[in-house]
Amino acid sequence: MVNDPGDRVLEPYVETDNSVETRKAVSDGLLGIHNITSNRFWQFAALFGIMFIFGIVGFVWKLSSGFDDKSTWGYYVAVFAFLMTTSSAAPMVAIAPRIANSHWRRPISRAAEIWTLAGCLNLILYIPLIWLLPSLENGRRSLWFYGQQEGVPAYSPHIWATLAIVGLVLLGLSLLWLSTLPDFAVLRDQGEGWKKKWGGKLALGWRGTSAQWNWQHHRMGVVGAFYFMMLVFVHFFISVEFLMVHVPGWIDSLYPITHAHNALQAGVATVMLTMFFLRQFGGYKDYIGLDQFWGLGKLLLALSLLWFWFWFSSFNVFWYGGKPSEQAVLELFVKGPYLYLFITIFILVFILPWFTMIWNPVRRSVWGPAILATSVLIGTLLDRIRLYVASWDVAGRSMAKELEMKMQDVPTKIQTPGYEDIFIMVGFIAGSILIFMLATRLIPAVNLWEQKEMLLYKAEIQFHRTKVTVMGKPR
Amino acid sequence: MAKRSVLGLYSEEDSAADALDNLREAGFEEGEYEILTGVPYPEGTFGEAEPEHKLYRWPLIGAACGFTIALLITAGTELAYPLITGGKPILSIPAMAIIMYEGSMLGAIIFTIIGIIFESRLPRIFMGAYSEKITEGHIGVTVTTEETRTDIAETALNKAGTDGEIIRGWE
Repeated sequence: MVNDPGDRVLEPYVETDNSVETRKAVSDGLLGIHNITSNRFWQFAALFGIMFIFGIVGFVWKLSSGFDDKSTWGYYVAVFAFLMTTSSAAPMVAIAPRIANSHWRRPISRAAEIWTLAGCLNLILYIPLIWLLPSLENGRRSLWFYGQQEGVPAYSPHIWATLAIVGLVLLGLSLLWLSTLPDFAVLRDQGEGWKKKWGGKLALGWRGTSAQWNWQHHRMGVVGAFYFMMLVFVHFFISVEFLMVHVPGWIDSLYPITHAHNALQAGVATVMLTMFFLRQFGGYKDYIGLDQFWGLGKLLLALSLLWFWFWFSSFNVFWYGGKPSEQAVLELFVKGPYLYLFITIFILVFILPWFTMIWNPVRRSVWGPAILATSVLIGTLLDRIRLYVASWDVAGRSMAKELEMKMQDVPTKIQTPGYEDIFIMVGFIAGSILIFMLATRLIPAVNLWEQKEMLLYKAEIQFHRTKVTVMGKPR
Repeated sequence: MAKRSVLGLYSEEDSAADALDNLREAGFEEGEYEILTGVPYPEGTFGEAEPEHKLYRWPLIGAACGFTIALLITAGTELAYPLITGGKPILSIPAMAIIMYEGSMLGAIIFTIIGIIFESRLPRIFMGAYSEKITEGHIGVTVTTEETRTDIAETALNKAGTDGEIIRGWE
């Protein structure tokens, strides 16, 4: 390359850095970080482990109290819905940009995928809900035409919701396995100690033939697409079967997709916070940069604006409609006992992200998006508490057969959580984080093969009198 | 006859592509040689044949099976108990749609996962000719053929300038 004194590029040139040495350096660099487990890691793992034990105690305590009093189960269902909204939605951050062939997602896609392992915990949390959910014989409105169509099983919601959630968990595990397979081969060949041993077992003899790469690429695309379809469907089920049908008069065709949208927003926030911790404390500062925060920050801003759109569309119909049943639903969720909680949620999930993320300096920073992701996650947890605790409070009042809820039937105060509820909430959220942390001891938190693949597509070229970086895309 | 495999390692993509050309000239056919890499190169980078995939077969068959079963469950129930409700037809799509959608999805998911396991040809018990240098960044060209032809393969691989010794293995 020839430069003149003004640093202008005078002769055509192209520079790539895809040598064996560079590829090895990328592998070695990432494996070096992966192999280190600091004392601080184990301190936090122990802390989350202790919290998780409290969660298990709360879980057993809750089960021993029985399923008769539905009104006390709101917090339990809320934490289940919260985990489905966050950890189960996080893999979408890997799936969508990968389908769109964007490069900025490479350092964060694995972290998003590892969250699928927490789906197993969600599945355990879901099991008691099968017993909690009343059969259709209680006379509630449902999707299942029960009572109108002979032969419909009274446990239709239980059967289909269970199959959908199991399907989602299976898809998540498949996606993670497909993505990790080449990295297990790296651990087998380059790793040390128990990681080498387990890498060898889990790589299943992966050699990296063209046919294997082709198979892996296309399968990841199909499984990812199915994961997205199933995620939306599962949220449709959760929001209808565990929420809406328990409140007489809550008829809102938009709400199931609102629930799914909330999951996408919280999923992005979960990954944003994960990459913040990986960067600041996990040693991945050189891999997770401003590009990732900027890319996800834009998504978070868009999804936060959509949060308002979805909420306002439903609210407007109810508010303008003014039917007594709709007034009662608004009283329950917005204007009544949950008013201050609602205002807090509104600020945390919409106002704060909106008024801060519109500014480039906040969006193109590390701390700004991470703080706002925390705000979104706290807001989402409170939102799940508001909706599920209120709905199960109503479910406990045996109004299922009524077509609409009267104003005098609306609970006047928020259900207080019991100690077991607090244990479950803290314990299972900590349990999900613990699963993620422990998984990163075996599975590299930053995708090795995708980082090396990027070297193939990156080049610095002459552009008139200056240099620009060009990122290619595979066909 | 027992087959053996030989592996040549290359630092440069062009050398690996030359090795494939040499193998073709020496009479080896597609299917006898493979490229091994630690990263997914774009298809055809080394002049190799683009792998054919029957990707959509499994999910489509699964979805069709799931849809059919769901259709039979829902339509069968409605026809077995033919009660007219609210003036709607006996076979009402809205009452069937959710189960048919989920049936299709579950069928597609189950078949896709079976397909993944089946098509992956994993686990591979014997690695054949393989080197750990591949996951470090080297490009491997492996030839799996009759024992009598391995010398020809080795010559073709060496002609392209291998990086180190030829590695041999049993299949």
